[in-house]
Amino acid sequence: MSSTTKASRIGEEIWKTRVDKVNAELVTLTYGTIVAQLCQDYDSDYQEVNKQLDKMGYNIGMRLIEDFLAKSGVGRCANFRETADMIAKVRTSVIRNGYMSEQVGFKIFLNVTPTVTNWTSDNNQFSLIFDENPLADFVELPDDGRSQDELWFSNILCGVLRGSLEMVQVQIEAHFVSDVLRGDDTTEMRVSLVRYIEDEMPPEED
Amino acid sequence: MSAPPRHSAVMSISNAGPPQSASTDKPQTPQQAQTPTQPMSGLRVPSNRKTIYDRHLNRSRNAELSRASFAFLFAEMVTYAQRRVTGIQDLEKRLNEQGYPLGLRLLDLLFYRSTSTSSSALSSSSTSSSPPNRPLRIITLLHLIHGPLWRLLFQRAADALEHSVSADTPNEYMITDNDPLVNTYISVPREMSMLNCAAFVAGIIEGVCDGCGFEAKVSAHNQPSEMWPSRTVFLLRFGDSVMEREKVLERAGVK
Amino acid sequence: MSYYFTILSPTDTPLFNIAFGTSKGGGDGIARFRFPDTAQYMNQFIIHSSLDIVEEAQWTNGGMYLKHIDTYPPAAAYISAFLTPSGARFLLLHQPPQLPSATPTGSSSLLNASGSATRASSNSIAANPTSPQTEEAVRQFMNEVYDTYVKTSMSPFYKQGMEIRSPVFRGRVTAAGKKWL
Repeated sequence: MSSTTKASRIGEEIWKTRVDKVNAELVTLTYGTIVAQLCQDYDSDYQEVNKQLDKMGYNIGMRLIEDFLAKSGVGRCANFRETADMIAKVRTSVIRNGYMSEQVGFKIFLNVTPTVTNWTSDNNQFSLIFDENPLADFVELPDDGRSQDELWFSNILCGVLRGSLEMVQVQIEAHFVSDVLRGDDTTEMRVSLVRYIEDEMPPEED
Repeated sequence: MSAPPRHSAVMSISNAGPPQSASTDKPQTPQQAQTPTQPMSGLRVPSNRKTIYDRHLNRSRNAELSRASFAFLFAEMVTYAQRRVTGIQDLEKRLNEQGYPLGLRLLDLLFYRSTSTSSSALSSSSTSSSPPNRPLRIITLLHLIHGPLWRLLFQRAADALEHSVSADTPNEYMITDNDPLVNTYISVPREMSMLNCAAFVAGIIEGVCDGCGFEAKVSAHNQPSEMWPSRTVFLLRFGDSVMEREKVLERAGVK
Repeated sequence: MSYYFTILSPTDTPLFNIAFGTSKGGGDGIARFRFPDTAQYMNQFIIHSSLDIVEEAQWTNGGMYLKHIDTYPPAAAYISAFLTPSGARFLLLHQPPQLPSATPTGSSSLLNASGSATRASSNSIAANPTSPQTEEAVRQFMNEVYDTYVKTSMSPFYKQGMEIRSPVFRGRVTAAGKKWL
């Protein structure tokens, strides 16, 4: 519980003091046009749209964590050893608290703090529940009888998480299991640990 | 990617988590998803029946997100667009087309906000609560773009508004942004040095013009200065019909 | 009073329409047009024939709500218009009930008369389509529809000119009609 508080406090602090901001609606509307464009380009092949969004998110996540590490002050490393130390530190917190980075990361990316819940007993899987999701503001899915079964509108977030955690040597798998846009009562992302990457260097981009 | 575990599996282990998961009392009704709750509609809605129509349009009015989020998102949009076009012109056209519908939406949102609140989004000086007017003349439209639209998007007004000095092009107007937000995090490869990603913003402006009934072509041009390396000029070229109407309205004394 | 409300795209494609009757003064909310068999066709015809006037008013009056802009005497039909800044037109046709005593023509002075003893006449909105009270009620109705319309158009999947088929939208327009008209 203290780690939750701590994570959200860190997130709040960084958000308030070190993050340059823009109008949220600009982000929301821009994201909306991206998804709508993908749906058009892929002729409403929503599986493919989900995949593309996840890919975009992965790239964003990698860049975001760099930006985040720079902003959180632990990113200015004098040498490689320090870099490794820093990554280890962030990793330890990921391992110990499971979700600290996720919470901080989403705070910075989306100004939301998802609730962490539904752990498995081996601590390798958990859920993130989004009470707020600025990406989905103003959105109504197409009434085509398929979109609510096939499209994960906010799927970019899975990629963001995957990309940013891979930057700190943690490989995960993430996917949405429910979304209020589909008529579900919650928006929930399921996150599973795949493995800790033992290499010392951050992974190459896909 | 492995097959995603479905809810049944998730739920069965939901109580086995460590004590950190203090908020398991959150309503968890995933089965809802499988059963249509509103037979009259093609779309399912959550059991609280909340839809876009229940969300107040001013709710996110002053909300902020990180500039990096926008920049990275925008960069992905440009990268994706780039994969599907050949050449800079095509790419700019595509970015323009993606901005266009946003212009239409922002236009409605701007006017909605100035009719529904006492502090008008369209005029900072206005104290009256009377609804704003749709722009009828080019100059009113340009002020709407230079001021309220720019403030809604970028939290400040644009830097300059000019009319073409050439007698041959009375239909050309220029709006300048010294440091466009959309260019701040974008590094354009050298072979594409002519590209200006503000073509997206040009599309937004074009949508606003068209929406208001002023048919126009809008393009973004790099005009760097020593002080402002990413200074961008948006060139607005109004169609003949707009210029004709402008003359008629001028004679009729319409402001 | 019977109403026919329609939303037209900037290029005059119908995006939405609905017919309803007044709920004021004990009205049951059901439309009773004078020529029930041809009402749908007639209403659309009358509305479309008022578009020239709308287009003229559009460039002399910068307001969104243009109030009562046209009258079609043969059907005693009154048209009010509201223009969204992005070019959609909201048009409301209202037709007072046919009074057995007074013969309605297009003239507002006749319709203004409160001599009729029918229930509808006790309500100024129903009795007089051009009174300030009616203009105000229609304004409120239009504003409420505009609120709902903007919500529709903000969705990234809604493209300008698309028919509005959401039952929630229809419900909101119906409710606004009930509340103000």
